[in-house]
Amino acid sequence: MSPADLASLVPELVLTAAGIVLLLADAFVPALRRLWTPLALLAVAGAVYLAWNLPAGSSFGGQLEASGVTLGFSGVVLLAGFLALLTSEGYLRREGILSGEYHALLLWCVVGLLLLVRATELLTLFVSLELLSLCLYALAAFHRRLPVAVEAAIKYFLMGAFVSAFVLLGVAILYGETGSTELPEIARALQAGPGSQPLATLGVLLLVAGFGFKMSLVPFHAWSPDAYQGAPSPFVAFLSVAPKAASALVLMRVLTAVSGGAVGGRWPDLVALLAVLSMVGGNLLALVQRDVKRMLAYSGIAHMGYLAIALVALDGGSWVPVLVYLVAYALMNAGAFGVVAMLYPRPGEEHRIDDLAGLGYRYPLLGGCLTVAMLSLAGIPPTLGFLGKYLVFLHAVESGQIWLAVVGVAASLVGVFYYLRVVYTLYMKGEQAAPAGLLLDGWGRLAAVLSAGGTLALGVWPWGLLRWMLDAVRGVG
Amino acid sequence: MDAFLDLARADSLTRLVFFPTVACLPLLLFPRGGSRAVRLYLLAVSGIELALGLAYAARHLGPGGVFLLTRDRGGPLDWIPAWGIRYDLAADGISMPLALLTVLLLPLVVLASWRGIDRHWRAYGASLLVLTSGILGSLFAYDLFLFYVFWEVMLIPMYLVIGVWGSERRIYAAVKFFLFTIAGSLLMLVAILWLAWTYKATAGEWSFAYQDLLRLDLPARQQLWIFAGFALAFLIKVPMFPLHTWLPDAHVEAPTGGSVILAGILLKLGTYGYLRFAMPLFPHASAASRGLLLALALTGILYGALVAWMQTDMKKLVAYSSVAHLGFVMLGLLAADLVAWQGALLQMVNHGISTGALFLLVGMFYDRRHTKRFEDMGGLARVMPIFAFFLVFSTLASVGLPALNGFAGEFLILVGSYRSLGAWAIAATFGVVLAAVYLLKMLHLTLWGPLEREENRGLADLSWREVGLLLPLAVLMLAIGVAPAPFTEPSRPALEEALARYQARLAEPAPGEARLLPAFEPAVAATGPAEPGGER
Repeated sequence: MSPADLASLVPELVLTAAGIVLLLADAFVPALRRLWTPLALLAVAGAVYLAWNLPAGSSFGGQLEASGVTLGFSGVVLLAGFLALLTSEGYLRREGILSGEYHALLLWCVVGLLLLVRATELLTLFVSLELLSLCLYALAAFHRRLPVAVEAAIKYFLMGAFVSAFVLLGVAILYGETGSTELPEIARALQAGPGSQPLATLGVLLLVAGFGFKMSLVPFHAWSPDAYQGAPSPFVAFLSVAPKAASALVLMRVLTAVSGGAVGGRWPDLVALLAVLSMVGGNLLALVQRDVKRMLAYSGIAHMGYLAIALVALDGGSWVPVLVYLVAYALMNAGAFGVVAMLYPRPGEEHRIDDLAGLGYRYPLLGGCLTVAMLSLAGIPPTLGFLGKYLVFLHAVESGQIWLAVVGVAASLVGVFYYLRVVYTLYMKGEQAAPAGLLLDGWGRLAAVLSAGGTLALGVWPWGLLRWMLDAVRGVG
Repeated sequence: MDAFLDLARADSLTRLVFFPTVACLPLLLFPRGGSRAVRLYLLAVSGIELALGLAYAARHLGPGGVFLLTRDRGGPLDWIPAWGIRYDLAADGISMPLALLTVLLLPLVVLASWRGIDRHWRAYGASLLVLTSGILGSLFAYDLFLFYVFWEVMLIPMYLVIGVWGSERRIYAAVKFFLFTIAGSLLMLVAILWLAWTYKATAGEWSFAYQDLLRLDLPARQQLWIFAGFALAFLIKVPMFPLHTWLPDAHVEAPTGGSVILAGILLKLGTYGYLRFAMPLFPHASAASRGLLLALALTGILYGALVAWMQTDMKKLVAYSSVAHLGFVMLGLLAADLVAWQGALLQMVNHGISTGALFLLVGMFYDRRHTKRFEDMGGLARVMPIFAFFLVFSTLASVGLPALNGFAGEFLILVGSYRSLGAWAIAATFGVVLAAVYLLKMLHLTLWGPLEREENRGLADLSWREVGLLLPLAVLMLAIGVAPAPFTEPSRPALEEALARYQARLAEPAPGEARLLPAFEPAVAATGPAEPGGER
């Protein structure tokens, strides 16, 4: 390990150290609790700065890489982490569970994700995944006095443990078949190999299943509604975005690695199948939900289906649609879950959509932000959510998969219906008394405004973001 | 961004389109519940917007009273260059009349809502203003991506207007309106993507520019698919039978102002889109599906009229009459004949004026009695003579009485389409007869007969505000009816050009595979200091 290797880890190291400091500080000077959120935000902002200035190249003997693409995905992860931290403060204070562990765990989740994004070697990938997953399980159960939270965490943990086993088995099989755990080596070995390689195919299939689970693609989606419902809402803003973003990148890497080889031929069909199932299934199931968090969980499944459209025809043109989609998704989910966290003061109970009736007039700012988030999720211009969908569909048309775009459009039509339900509940149903026990703090409002404002501003003036992304992915397969 | 702000400062289409949206921001400063101040402010804003619109049209009216194409000054701005998407606005004789109708109806809508809207005036005002921007933007957009964005922007405010300020079943109506419309526009999105991608594959570069895409000559089969995507979106908006079912619900539930905008302008965007995009971009496909669409248009005319006849609710009657009237407009467009097109364009404006007036009148009665049913009316002419005068006047205009505007439009459409359609046009004349039947029935049930309801005896006649907002519409009905030429002539060059291009394209069969036609330069207005458009 050379100093240069260590230097390439600086963003992760800063976040890890910040987590440790927060944990210790919470034990020794608990009176300063109100400082943890600003400190954690500062650490994330520092990580953004450091990641931005990280020189491109690989380190640790080719186990980690840094490029425009990894920077883009790291940016999505950090953005989701930042917004989740902003919304968490008020929630934790309201529930009386504000402590340094929460911030430390969230920062370490981010570390795991940053490593997952940068890993090009399967064991590193697996270790990062485990770091991420353990922190996620703990955070899902963070409101430990609530039975629903514990139930959600246990379900998530059980399913997640299976998935970890799947991924590990997949890694082992691929190593056995190709003699390497490095993705470029594996790709080379598969290309040179014989015509039919059932074991290697099984290995890749296990990896796809594992990361499909993290992305909650149908049929690996069953955990997400339960987990979202029970877990703290601000954390769900993170859970529903960042792990999905990193998993999408891993899937893209794995599929790119196998696409040239003998096991490559049928992968696009498989991904197309997953995409269609997720779009159709997610949207139809979301339609019948009465609980806003479950509805958003199924909507998230559908959104990963749209995203997977861009993974069907993997080429250099897939990166920008995927990245734009993820930025949009991070912003609109943070807005949606952030407002939900603030407007539902009893996290142990059902979050009925009907409880929002008339709140759009009582809380114009939060109602407006939630509306923008819903319209963006529904893909109505001029929001960034529309642009993301647009680019994904355009990519599908470009690669001759018009039918996928048509399925996507039909599915989003279903989506419009249930997103509108939130909007009309906010504004068109009779006004009711304000729910008791709300805590609307400045951080939370800032998060809502940032996400709604970002969704609109980037939707109207997307070129700055797009140009940066186009530059960043230039030359990356 | 800077270039955009420069544009917004100048006398430009950009200013015309975005002034209403920008004017929403000060609404945040008004105190909650200060609805009188908000209303006055909205009236001022809409008055300024009307002045801006009239000034723009007057300034760019070319020699000989014709309105040639005017690009926004400075030419198109890059928006998303990597995909050839540009911010590009242009007005011509087809879009300008509808834009003027929009800015004319806006202050009237504000006035008409004066009493009817009793809550959340700031949100109502913001919805109206954003809606206006969306409408004007859709009319002026010269880039298909931009057009799509504006097209969708219209949706949300209209949805809110129906759903928040409507009557009992408003949520059902609002959601139905939204889903119908977006179903069409999402398919149009796929069609736009496919079209742009084909252009990229053929020309080697991305472009969504209307002028570029016009050059694309597509094989018949592909043309038909993409045309279907566009046409469906437009025909739902029109709405054409059998896609019209959202319309009666939306109209009945919407507040008066919403109905006026919906009938007056939003429906016209369907016919406008058909004329502007669906026909010129896909001439062969539109010619191939002409028979089907003619049958639907004719069914719409007769069906709309018959169903209107059966209504017991005045607003529903007017709503169904829109289905019939818009069927006429579609008939005129399908005829692909200059006179019929002139008539169709005139009739789009006419319908906005006369149906707008009818909806306003229904609203005025509703403000007094909170009912729209015929059984609660009858004999109103005795207690409300001024109301009766305007109702008779607008109804006769809508029926097509000579010397009023409806006659000019329908006459041109029928004459023009008889030349190319023959029997179809003759069949459509029955629609005119039926219109007289159901509209006169409406007059009979509302104004004449005995005054049976005791509650109606004490009804106040129209106030000065109400007269003031009906009077301009009545004057226009008369002016267009007596002298239609000044209203149709400015649009003539644009229509002639579109028709010539359409016929030239049809003269040659669709190619075996996509190819590019030579660039086509429309006649551009020579007014204005900056001469845009040419350099691209």
